[in-house]
Amino acid sequence: MIEAARFWAIVVLVVAGLFFTFVSAVGVIRLPDIYARAHTASQTDTLGAGLALAAVALALGWQQASVYTVLLLFFVFITNPTAAHAIARSAAETGIEPVTADSAADGDTREPSTASTDRNSSDDDGGSDVDGGETA
Amino acid sequence: MVADRTLVPLSETVTVRQTVGYAVQSGLEDADSLEVHLVVALPYDAEVPEGKQQVEEAKQLLSKARRWVTEDAGSADVTVETAVLGTERYLFGPRDYADIFEEYTDDHDLDRVVLDPEYHPGVTSSILQPLEHELESAGIPYDEAAVERPARHERLVGEGTERFDRYFALFWISFGFYLVLGDPTYWFDLVTGVAVAGIVSFSLANVTFSFPLHRIGSPVRTIRFAFYVPYLIWEIVKANVAISFVILRPSMPIEPVVTRVNARVRSGLPLLALANSITLTPGTLTVRANDQRLIVHTLIPSAREDLFDGALERAVRFVFHGRTSARIPSPRERGDAEIVGGDEL
Repeated sequence: MIEAARFWAIVVLVVAGLFFTFVSAVGVIRLPDIYARAHTASQTDTLGAGLALAAVALALGWQQASVYTVLLLFFVFITNPTAAHAIARSAAETGIEPVTADSAADGDTREPSTASTDRNSSDDDGGSDVDGGETA
Repeated sequence: MVADRTLVPLSETVTVRQTVGYAVQSGLEDADSLEVHLVVALPYDAEVPEGKQQVEEAKQLLSKARRWVTEDAGSADVTVETAVLGTERYLFGPRDYADIFEEYTDDHDLDRVVLDPEYHPGVTSSILQPLEHELESAGIPYDEAAVERPARHERLVGEGTERFDRYFALFWISFGFYLVLGDPTYWFDLVTGVAVAGIVSFSLANVTFSFPLHRIGSPVRTIRFAFYVPYLIWEIVKANVAISFVILRPSMPIEPVVTRVNARVRSGLPLLALANSITLTPGTLTVRANDQRLIVHTLIPSAREDLFDGALERAVRFVFHGRTSARIPSPRERGDAEIVGGDEL
């Protein structure tokens, strides 16, 4: 009985972790710019990895290795915001302007200004216009 | 001859008395009359609980310094003005102090600043430029007071008990971590753990803790932090679900906005904890932390509302200062939260 409950708890945790990782992947593709994508990229680390590691700890049971998974989670929680902040900050310092609620309306005029600073960002922005068209 | 007009920022240092003496003496050397402005710049807002006590202390210091000036001046023509600066804002790094001194010198048309060599306001870290540099870049002439002070042999090492506390704390932290990785019941791990923790605490204790530990305060903070973690995880789960709904909806109703929030937490570890918690919660992302002014990119309106309500800020204040100081108005109520354009980055 308890074994069955544990089995299903593991399955639920893994599936939930997969779901949030999937959402994060969808978000990275759909969201308009680097700042918005950084939000959703951290979903993989927090809940995606978090739930998967919780499943691992549960599957391993009460032993030394499950302590390691908790530690792993702890370090992920420290390094993830640091990395997200570093990416966002370097983007800000390169001069990439975020797509805001106001600027999304006139998305096409924005492009020449960022195109010169960063080739990648202009590619990203190209994708955003398609999405922006859907929302409008 | 024209009067010399001098600004002297004060704080409770060992050399504050000599600095005041130097300011009066050097001022009177090249001018007949002297106008001394004694100021104390406070790091906190006067409204927060810890601010009121500081205002009191500042006033006491100023009245003491005023007596010193009259004592040193003798029969010479010296006018003294005193002021407490920074009561309506949150000073953080040396730049903020330089700014506030610049404002004051402009307002009162002062000629120079006499600095106490021991005056280290706000947070000093190797990343920030010292106050002298900031004053120079603001174009304020300053003069370091010639004082005799006891030589400091080791900057980072504190006094006896404080040093012991650091070694003690770091020893048990590293020993505990070693045993978590190893096996606490195996004698070999216990022995090597003691050796490793000894080496770690001996070599790194002065680097690890950049602030003095408190024998009751620090463990209490650790316990409060243990309460904070589940709360943070709950917030993360809520935000993740909200963001997931937004991303998966075909219309994707995002509303990306850049906001600025002036956080009322101390710099260093509390600010790091707050900025990291904000970033960990999907929907809010700390892009920049210019001292206490956090530039936060928010993706959906509900995340922005949560940020402006300041629940995380209160939780961080609870961890570091206890329950009473967690009861502060939200950033929205005190006008510390605003929506800024993308060019603010």
